[in-house]
Amino acid sequence: MTLLILVVQAIAMVALTPVLIGAMRQVRSRLEGRVGAGVLQPWRDVRKLLRKETLRAEGTGGILAAAPLVLMASSVLLCVLVPLVSTRTLPLVPDDLFVVVSVLLIGTVALALLGLGAGTAFGGMGSSRHMTIAALVEPTVLVAVYALSIPVGTSALSSIVQARVKDPAGLISPVSLLAIVALVLVVLAETGRLPVDNPSTHLELTMIHEAMTLESSGRDLGWLELGSWLRLTALLGLVVNLAVPWGVAIHLNAGSVLLGLVAIVLKVVAAGLLVAAGEVFTAKLRLFRVPELLAGSFVLAFLAVTASYLVA
Amino acid sequence: MAALIWISLALPMLVAAAALWRPRAEWTRYSQTGTAVIELVCGVGLVLAVRSGGPVVTAGGLLRVDALSAYLLTVVGAVAVTATWGGLRPRSAGRPPNGRYSALICLFLAAMCLALLADNLGILWVAIEGTTIATAFLVGSRGGRRALEAAWKYVVLGSVGVAIAFLGLVLLYAATEAAGHPTLSWLALSDGSITLDPGLARTALALAVLGFATKAGLAPMHSWLPDAHSQAPAPVSGLMSGVLLSVAFYAILRMRTISDALLGPGLMRGLLLAGGLLSLAVAAALILRQRDYKRMLAYSSIEHMGLLALGAAAGGPLALAAVLLHILGHGLTKASMFVVAGRVLSVEGSSKIADVHSLLARRPRLGVPFLAGMVALLGLPPFGLFFTELGIIVGGWQRGLGWPMGVALVLLLVVFAGLAQHTASMTLGEELEAPAGPAPAKSVQGSNVPIALALAITAVLGFAAWPLAHLLADAVAVLGGAR
Amino acid sequence: MPEALFSELLAATTGLLLLSATLQVWRRSLTASIRLLAVQGVALAGLVAAIGLHDHELELLPVALLVLVLKAATMPWVLSRVSRATGATREETPRMNPTSALMVVALLTTLAYVVSQPVVAVNPGPASRAVPIGVALALIGFLVLLTRRRALSQLIGFVVLDNGIAAVAFLTAGGVPLVVELGASLDVLLIVLILRVLTSRMQLAFGDTDLDDLTELRD
Repeated sequence: MTLLILVVQAIAMVALTPVLIGAMRQVRSRLEGRVGAGVLQPWRDVRKLLRKETLRAEGTGGILAAAPLVLMASSVLLCVLVPLVSTRTLPLVPDDLFVVVSVLLIGTVALALLGLGAGTAFGGMGSSRHMTIAALVEPTVLVAVYALSIPVGTSALSSIVQARVKDPAGLISPVSLLAIVALVLVVLAETGRLPVDNPSTHLELTMIHEAMTLESSGRDLGWLELGSWLRLTALLGLVVNLAVPWGVAIHLNAGSVLLGLVAIVLKVVAAGLLVAAGEVFTAKLRLFRVPELLAGSFVLAFLAVTASYLVA
Repeated sequence: MAALIWISLALPMLVAAAALWRPRAEWTRYSQTGTAVIELVCGVGLVLAVRSGGPVVTAGGLLRVDALSAYLLTVVGAVAVTATWGGLRPRSAGRPPNGRYSALICLFLAAMCLALLADNLGILWVAIEGTTIATAFLVGSRGGRRALEAAWKYVVLGSVGVAIAFLGLVLLYAATEAAGHPTLSWLALSDGSITLDPGLARTALALAVLGFATKAGLAPMHSWLPDAHSQAPAPVSGLMSGVLLSVAFYAILRMRTISDALLGPGLMRGLLLAGGLLSLAVAAALILRQRDYKRMLAYSSIEHMGLLALGAAAGGPLALAAVLLHILGHGLTKASMFVVAGRVLSVEGSSKIADVHSLLARRPRLGVPFLAGMVALLGLPPFGLFFTELGIIVGGWQRGLGWPMGVALVLLLVVFAGLAQHTASMTLGEELEAPAGPAPAKSVQGSNVPIALALAITAVLGFAAWPLAHLLADAVAVLGGAR
Repeated sequence: MPEALFSELLAATTGLLLLSATLQVWRRSLTASIRLLAVQGVALAGLVAAIGLHDHELELLPVALLVLVLKAATMPWVLSRVSRATGATREETPRMNPTSALMVVALLTTLAYVVSQPVVAVNPGPASRAVPIGVALALIGFLVLLTRRRALSQLIGFVVLDNGIAAVAFLTAGGVPLVVELGASLDVLLIVLILRVLTSRMQLAFGDTDLDDLTELRD
């Protein structure tokens, strides 16, 4: 039963992802005064890319073929592990914080290797920037979720979400607020949104994520795009379930699972639209200022940990 | 007798208010000296009162004068008279009376007295912070970039140090509250009757002493001292060196008594020993390199404060009595020296040591007091500082601080050599070049009487300590030195 | 006041204190730092009021009002006048870049927790568990004092230091006696005013309030 729920969760997220990205782009376009390409455009793009012929440069080895698949697989695994629809987990597959962070890291590294694989200057530049940000972001994720896990006593994400559902007063405590703010900054950095990286840039020197995918085409590019968008969806779902966990299914009956599914879809779309609206008003930070931002989010997470000892 | 306390506090404030109201009035010139004389008279009066009737308490126990406070009040009065009288320029000097300057000095004196007369440690703290406020503009009153820099460093470092002391006092109050007896009264704390949590009390007292050591100019918190004392006008430097440092040290002595009563002598002995030796080392290292004679005098102040800290670390009747006498002697001598240095600056026009030479031959009215004062400061007999320094060293030896006293002796020798060399280059020697212009009239420079008086008292100090013997014994008993 | 509410209020106010201090280290803008000082003043006043209501010491309520007027209104107003007078609105080149400064903030918070153990051990309770925050605030004030070049930044650091010490005072013992509290507040206000005057004099003498210009006095 739990396995069925998890499969449904993964399929739902994969189906939701292009729609989410489309909605975010549409909101941004409308706020910027443009007509926009429509909510289903990303879905159409992915379909087109998956059917196109894949061209790979000479001498790149297998990395250009393997990396997109690894990224996609890690993103799907992320959707399965993170408690999105329900807080039930398989006994053999732990949804421990460290496992989730490691899965994130696998995707990150695959993407970085992809950028290096083609041997171009822009690819290498994108990879190095990407890894810098990843290095600064990992400690923050760990510390922020650790702060949220202190009252629960375990670092299993589903237990944390379950405890937060049962204790509504803890949602507005300073610990929660600080940790959630830190996590939001982390998600923005990890998934390449403003103010860390501009997802719609065409200027190579300002690219971080796009630079790594410059040499990919056809099916490779299709999996890459879908995989990156899926990361955003899963991470947004995680943050949103930690911040406002209502609707998550705790018991295993059809009604609450359905409610959980509807709730997560609505919450993720709402969060995505908020991010998109915020992006309209934010400018991209210089790369030298990004470590400041990430250090600030680390300190916020650290303060969340210290604050949790006050109320403990 | 309580009236004396109120007079010594209220009168300077009234004079300051009046001086601010009429800043251009002629009498404001003499208001500072008048206030200082009043303080001296109150001090002597309180000494007699305490001798005959025991400690004088007023304001519901917040203000309390025992032998130590009365003695130091007298010292403060005497040094203030020397500095302000020596800094007096008569009417014909051509400078208009500055009421604001006088008002600030009167407020400074009032704050010093409040610090000495307070029994509540919080009020002591407020008064010492008040001295920073009163002297902030005095230090920068010469105007110009260097004075501004000195004033900024002085205010920031002084306030930060005093803030640390406040943290210490806050923790001390918390400890007393945890023990069920919330109080900041020195009398209650030094009885040893309240048992405080040792860890918390240790932290609190260490922080408090660290904070007050900043105001007293003990290394490593001394860096404001040379700048402030060299840039301030001469009487202000004299007051600061003679009075402010002494009162800050008095606060340290009070803390030391509390610490010895509650925690045993170890903590304060270690802290004061470290601070004292470090101050002596800093003074010894930097005094040879000095190019400015006012700065040289400031480093000499650091040296003497280090010596006082060593004496306080030693404890015991001999060392503590020597410390108290040394405060008097150093205050008088340093105030005189700064006054004379100010006159040298106004006559010679430069504060560099290299620009001043053969003072004895060219300007005997300046050279003689300068040389006499330096001889006193170097600790040569017959001046009292010789005996007090000896007393501190021997007292330390007797109390088991053998090798630190040895190190101190070596450092004192180095400072001696540096000061002597600079003094010799400034005062001795023949008139090499064309004779200096006509000496400025006596009336322009100010009277030599206060300097002569101060140095005479210092000379007599070592021998004629008999009028002070009882007073010193009482004061040392207050400090717990009999133990 | 129920214990749980007291704990939450304490956590909220002390959390706000620490957060505002962290943001002051992070941001380069001096106007933002001054506004954060006002936030700190409000948080401190809230802290005092909470402690007063919880311990049934009603004389702390006028003290809370005093803190509010002094630290949330008067001092930020004085400082913003300095900022306008000297035209210094940003700290362009601090001696320590914000990233390292933020790391040092995390370290200082840890240090504050370690150092405050004896204080917490004496009187265990929700108020004394928050003492490390006050100590951390004082240490962060020191950090700002030491690593900034502008005179106004040193002023802000001094006020943050004082806020931290005041927080420790109220958390450990419900404050100090009223006389001392009044005297201390007056002293701090006067120091701020004095530094304000010195800053404007500095602007006149040097044309700029960069403290690195003050290097003429040395051995």
